[in-house]
Amino acid sequence: MAGPSLIPSGDYRTTYAADTTIFPTKASRNAAIAGIVLICFAPLAFSEYWLSILIQIGIFAIAALGLNILVGFTGQISIGHAAFFLFGAFTSAYISNTLPIPVFFAIPLAGVITALVGLIFGIPAARLKGLYLVIATLAAQYILLDFFSRADWFSGGAAPASANPFSIFGYVFRGDRQYFYVVLTYLVVSYLLVTNLMRTRDGRALVAIRDHYLSAEIMGINLTKYRTLSFGLAAFFAGIAGALYAHYQLVVSNEGFGIERSIIFLAMVIIGGTGSIMGTLMGTAFVVLLPESMEWISAGLKGSAIDKALSLNNNITFLREIAIGLIIIAFLMFEPDGLAHRWRQIKTYWKLYPFSH
Amino acid sequence: MTMKSLLGTVSLALLLGGAATAAQAQIAIGHLEDLSGGTSDVGTPYGQGVADTFAWVNKNGGIGGKQLNVDSNDYGYQVPRAIALYKKWSGADKVAAIMGWGTADTEALTGFLAQDKIPDISGSYAAALTDPEGTSGKAKPAPYNFFYGPSYSDAMRAMLTWAAEDWKAKGKPGKPKFVHMGANHPYPNAPKAAGEAIAADLGFEVLPPLVFALTPGDYSAQCLSLKSSGANYAYLGNTAASNISVLKACKTAGVDVQFMGNVWGMDENAAKTAGDAADGVIFPLRTAVAWGGDAPGMKTVMEISKMSDPTGNVYRPVHYIAAVCSALYLKEAIDWAVKNGGATGENVAKGFYQKANWVPAGMEGVCNPSTWTEKDHRPTMKVDLYRSKISGPTDGDLNDLVKKGTIKLEKVKTIELPRKPEWFGW
Repeated sequence: MAGPSLIPSGDYRTTYAADTTIFPTKASRNAAIAGIVLICFAPLAFSEYWLSILIQIGIFAIAALGLNILVGFTGQISIGHAAFFLFGAFTSAYISNTLPIPVFFAIPLAGVITALVGLIFGIPAARLKGLYLVIATLAAQYILLDFFSRADWFSGGAAPASANPFSIFGYVFRGDRQYFYVVLTYLVVSYLLVTNLMRTRDGRALVAIRDHYLSAEIMGINLTKYRTLSFGLAAFFAGIAGALYAHYQLVVSNEGFGIERSIIFLAMVIIGGTGSIMGTLMGTAFVVLLPESMEWISAGLKGSAIDKALSLNNNITFLREIAIGLIIIAFLMFEPDGLAHRWRQIKTYWKLYPFSH
Repeated sequence: MTMKSLLGTVSLALLLGGAATAAQAQIAIGHLEDLSGGTSDVGTPYGQGVADTFAWVNKNGGIGGKQLNVDSNDYGYQVPRAIALYKKWSGADKVAAIMGWGTADTEALTGFLAQDKIPDISGSYAAALTDPEGTSGKAKPAPYNFFYGPSYSDAMRAMLTWAAEDWKAKGKPGKPKFVHMGANHPYPNAPKAAGEAIAADLGFEVLPPLVFALTPGDYSAQCLSLKSSGANYAYLGNTAASNISVLKACKTAGVDVQFMGNVWGMDENAAKTAGDAADGVIFPLRTAVAWGGDAPGMKTVMEISKMSDPTGNVYRPVHYIAAVCSALYLKEAIDWAVKNGGATGENVAKGFYQKANWVPAGMEGVCNPSTWTEKDHRPTMKVDLYRSKISGPTDGDLNDLVKKGTIKLEKVKTIELPRKPEWFGW
């Protein structure tokens, strides 16, 4: 992760606090604030299609952020993240449907309940490492999915469950244009929370475990506590994201959240950059936009000369899946440090432009 | 970066291109198809049938001089992807109707369809979609859901009625045993309660259901339980590809049971793949004839088929013809809407109510006469039961196999169910 420093010469740090600010310079802080303000106007400027993509990026980025705490900051692994996502979705739908709790409160509550479930499934993590942990989290994936397909009272069983639209004090958010702001708020708050978490004692403990668990233990870090906590945190953000997804779709189905979705969450973290908070957002955007762009290309190819020459017809759909796989492999080969690393290089390039080297 | 900017340019060009075509077309239709998911075996011919039919309508001048702009999308049988597409179709450029597909996604959309007033002609025939006002008390109101053919539950009732007679005719002693088989998924589950209820009424012993997945796999274990349970009649609730796995495994295990397939559970392709394992399976046929059958409307179906197969040599399975019927019913409903205030979803739904016992023009003798009313969306109560007959090795071209009679769909019985109020909505 060692990249060229972006701190201008003459900018000295005299306290530890100054060394751990969220934004290294005033300009970067202002740029981030301006960016958020600018994206607030997205519902006015973008078509519904693009808005739905932005909302998807927002929701999945929160879930991927949770996974990055686990994978990127604590050095654990989970291939059951999608099950926690779905658990949050069903929980929020269930709470807001059956109890007199408005959706506004159901979402954070679903996050908390999912975190508790995550803590339970995190217990083996305290003892297991590497491949063994992978299999343990795989079990979580299957146990939860099986639970959803059987627990009629909770998830509606095999049939999709319905979720209420997002409402606050009687005001109901209808349509993507309004829901966009709900997701944006959660996204900004989540990213700020995690950025701050990593500046605290607990956050540094997680990183210490990742870098060398034995040294961390010798220094007095309680491995069991922090490893389990990390699972809880990951599940918390997965639950929040799932709840947001439930009230966005208004329907929760246990389809499409199997192991392949868990792997996609991992892909988001890896492509974005493990251990990079902004990288998570970039990785999510990349992974969400990839199938969409493939869709555009396959739509463009349909009926064209290439299509006819190779008689692709309906196989274009499968070609899309293959292309996604290929691009992810290429990414791992040529950009192993993720998009965050590439972004830093681009910034450095322009910082020194035209006098680099 | 260059890759990204390239993608950006391509996508922008496509978006602009898409916008240009949308401006010319006048009646938008959303089309959900499953070409890659759990039901793609039957979803592919059905999707092709829908696409061909609308292409054929457009070639012949569209509807009321307006071309149809059909947005076909493979959603891989996944509810979230169907919802995402629905959002697109119910947004700014609202579609006049949707040609839908699966039970899970159609039932998930039912409430939205009613709210946005968009009719959905689904490939799901779940009985829960037949109650437009929710008066049955067994299903939520589904005022904008339509489908062509007998509901899954009614098809099941008809098959069990036949099975009870068959048991008597064979003069076997004791109570026949019935078992429901299928994935734990809304589609195979849809007629489960109705089937088990009527089975009990008809004097069957109802065995605990057996579960097997929607995708093909090794179902030897299910066949062994089937054998040890001593079942006489088994309902196969999944689609053809997955049912074939069961048929083959049960053939190997030497299970002596009469299989009864769902409308999507058997077709000529499946019979060819399963070979002699598919011999004797009973299933309902939604159209009066199969491909190449002797009916005036078959000429139209052949014309439509040429839209994607100019040679005219491709054999179209039963699902293709059912798709043509479904799409043409919608076409006539839109036709009525265009003449009576414009092709809005609300008018298109009304278009379905204008005639009773009707067949789309040009489809005489192919589509079975259907009726939809404001109070009852069960299009038909008549169920034609067929048996697949396999009389030899099924290698080679499907066209030849059917011509030679190696694969034959043999009519068994037509069951006319009463339109009982207690059978409504489930």
